[in-house]
Amino acid sequence: MPTTDRQLTDVDRVVLTRVMDLIIPSTGDFPGAGGLGLAERLERASMRYGRLRSGLLTVLDAMSLDIASRIEGGFAALDEERQIAAIASVESDLPIQFSEFVELVYETYYTDSRVYEHIGWADRPPQPEGFDLKPWDPTILEKIRNREPFWREVS
Amino acid sequence: MNETSTSDQEEQTVIAPQIATEGQLASDVADILIVGAGASGAAVAWRLTQAGFSVVCLEQGRWFNPGFYPTTKQNWEILGRHEWNWDPNKRGNPEDYPVNDSESDITPLMFAAVGGSTIHWTAHTPRFHPSDFRVKTLDGVADDWPLTYDDLDPYYDMNDMMMGCSGINGDPAVPPRSPRPMPPIPLGEDGEHMAAAFDRLGWHWWPSDNYVNSVPYKGRDACNYCGPVGFGCTRKAKSSTDVNYWPEAIRLGAVIKTHARVSEITIGTDGRATGANYLDRAGNIHHQAARSVVMAGNGIGTPRLLLMSKSDAHPDGLLNSSGLVGKNLMFHPYAMTTGFIPDLSETWKGPMGNILMSQEFYETDPRRDFVRGYAYQLNRGSGPLFTALGGAHQPVKWGAGHHEDFAERFGHAITLAGIGEDLPEEHNTVTLDEQLTDSSGLPAPKINYTLSENSHRMMDHSIKSATTVLQEAGATRIMANPLLRGGGWHLMGTARMGDDPERSVVDKWCQAHDADNVFIVDGSVFVTAGAVNPTPTLQAIALRAADYIAHERDDLKG
Ligand SMILES: Cc1cc2nc3c(=O)[nH]c(=O)nc-3n(C[C@H](O)[C@H](O)[C@H](O)COP(=O)(O)OP(=O)(O)OC[C@H]3O[C@@H](n4cnc5c(N)ncnc54)[C@H](O)[C@@H]3O)c2cc1C
Ligand code: SF4
Repeated sequence: MPTTDRQLTDVDRVVLTRVMDLIIPSTGDFPGAGGLGLAERLERASMRYGRLRSGLLTVLDAMSLDIASRIEGGFAALDEERQIAAIASVESDLPIQFSEFVELVYETYYTDSRVYEHIGWADRPPQPEGFDLKPWDPTILEKIRNREPFWREVS
Repeated sequence: MNETSTSDQEEQTVIAPQIATEGQLASDVADILIVGAGASGAAVAWRLTQAGFSVVCLEQGRWFNPGFYPTTKQNWEILGRHEWNWDPNKRGNPEDYPVNDSESDITPLMFAAVGGSTIHWTAHTPRFHPSDFRVKTLDGVADDWPLTYDDLDPYYDMNDMMMGCSGINGDPAVPPRSPRPMPPIPLGEDGEHMAAAFDRLGWHWWPSDNYVNSVPYKGRDACNYCGPVGFGCTRKAKSSTDVNYWPEAIRLGAVIKTHARVSEITIGTDGRATGANYLDRAGNIHHQAARSVVMAGNGIGTPRLLLMSKSDAHPDGLLNSSGLVGKNLMFHPYAMTTGFIPDLSETWKGPMGNILMSQEFYETDPRRDFVRGYAYQLNRGSGPLFTALGGAHQPVKWGAGHHEDFAERFGHAITLAGIGEDLPEEHNTVTLDEQLTDSSGLPAPKINYTLSENSHRMMDHSIKSATTVLQEAGATRIMANPLLRGGGWHLMGTARMGDDPERSVVDKWCQAHDADNVFIVDGSVFVTAGAVNPTPTLQAIALRAADYIAHERDDLKG
């Protein structure tokens, strides 16, 4: 098992970027998670949370041990279909670590300002602005108010 | 992207200015020693200081400054996943104790601080029904309570005023009651849409009662509908006991010692409590002497402490002559049914869990294949990260189809959270773990809990009915989770009340059968669980116990 203080190699980083692009692919002109250059941030975030760090390292190790990767000279040398198959096999062999890794990819992607803009989410914390809500309208109770009380009496 | 180091622990410890002092006790011996500064402990502290008792509270957590809660931070969703996670095992703050939940179907959730779990709660605050206190008589299951709805009614009202309740009278599902101090929180477009679907089906719904300010109340702001609720409210619009009961109690002379972890209730040769031993942050042991001990550590913390307080005289733990300390643990099982409704957008706007509730299926109906019933609490959608991670359901799929899956969910989700009445069973327990310890080296609690067949059938029914409502509301996709594992918000039953000392731990005034100067006032004393969130009920019970002490136990005043 990898130790959580192990550092990523340059090869790991290339693989990570590619895997991130396959986890969250590009859509239209908008790049995928790898193409947005989020690998470095993901790596930093993983340092903070040991559980996610071990998910990251386990998945990267499993990728490099994948049989097809080894025959072809590394994950990057595989075609897209076989890269996806390699990821899917890690998912089925190591479901817990894989889901921790996906969690880390989602944490990085879905807290990025460019992604916020792309999906229509205001790039600000919930406070202090909050949101508006349509004011309370008592007429909405018209029907239910007229229902006979139906709570169960006890003597 | 702002990567604020996350909980900024020291910064958050700053005490809110209006409660800058934790006070000094006039004498070394307190009249009342309260263990735990959460929902129930705070209510008792206020009521008893008001009645002239000297009160000291030992709390393992600290004060938090609401100004620094995650919702003020750009990375609030990440904080909610880690430093502010509802699960103490994932959060791992030194003041939390870990919980061994490996043999439990449900993970218990709680928070350690002044305010206790009300720092995290969503403040959805319905009352029990009169029938909830009489399930043996009405349905032949479990046991009746030794008190009634009418006994609690004035204390529910008192608590609603202190905590600040928003809501409206006229609900046909519950008995008539006095008005709430604030009008309801608006339903929003999503809530109105769902209310119309319930109306078309002829099924009950009513705007939720909330301890969330719909208008400014007692110096606290109104809610500005920012959404998350469950990670502390920086406006103090959501009520938590650090911003209502505690400032009042401290003003009246109560003392809170924070970072004070109680390791043992001490007992004299006469079998009565003499106070408690506690550890400070540095691990030093202290003793707080008291004429009476009030336990308010919640449905897991209280039995844990009673079991830790074993001695030669009490080899099975304190107050445990019935053998029921730690037994009959009840959670409310939650079945989550989420619909994605294209006609709705931006369902993240508004307090997440506080829209409306339906009690159509609350009472026993002999035509169904389960006894007792359940309620629905409607939850909104959430921010981008929580949406992608799926909430109660599978995460958004990775790879091809990712963006389509995300778009279908984001801003369109409404969840019907089916909350079921879990009946007490002695094999569902809190015990002490033999290996796991907290940061002070004290044994962690271990939970053994299996959901009953009755509850499984109830939850299945709740998914079917929720599906009907969501389809009526125009959902094009529905996801269901028949049992939310991470849904152990409500901790009940582990030191139940009753008239018979062989079948209960405390009496109807929360006074221990085994020691007349020890009281338990948290959810541990629940005989049954009802099918609504428990906190108004447990606070009403705590206030009633405090009034009993004030009126009947003058001997506890120094
Ligand atoms: C995320 C979340 C959402 C919730 N939402 C709702 C809701 O909408 N409606 C509702 O009714 N309820 C809700 N609840 C439940 C509600 O918070 C609890 O029912 C309520 O807070 C219980 O009150 P209590 O006084 O029993 O315990 P708590 O509020 O949990 O307080 C117990 C306190 O005791 C302290 N303590 C324990 N042991 C020791 C010890 N040995 N020494 C010193 N201190 C100790 C703890 O640190 C803690 O601060 C929610 C809970 C959570 C976690
Ligand atoms: S939605 Fe309202 S109550 Fe909830 S955190 Fe935001 S302001 Fe506070």
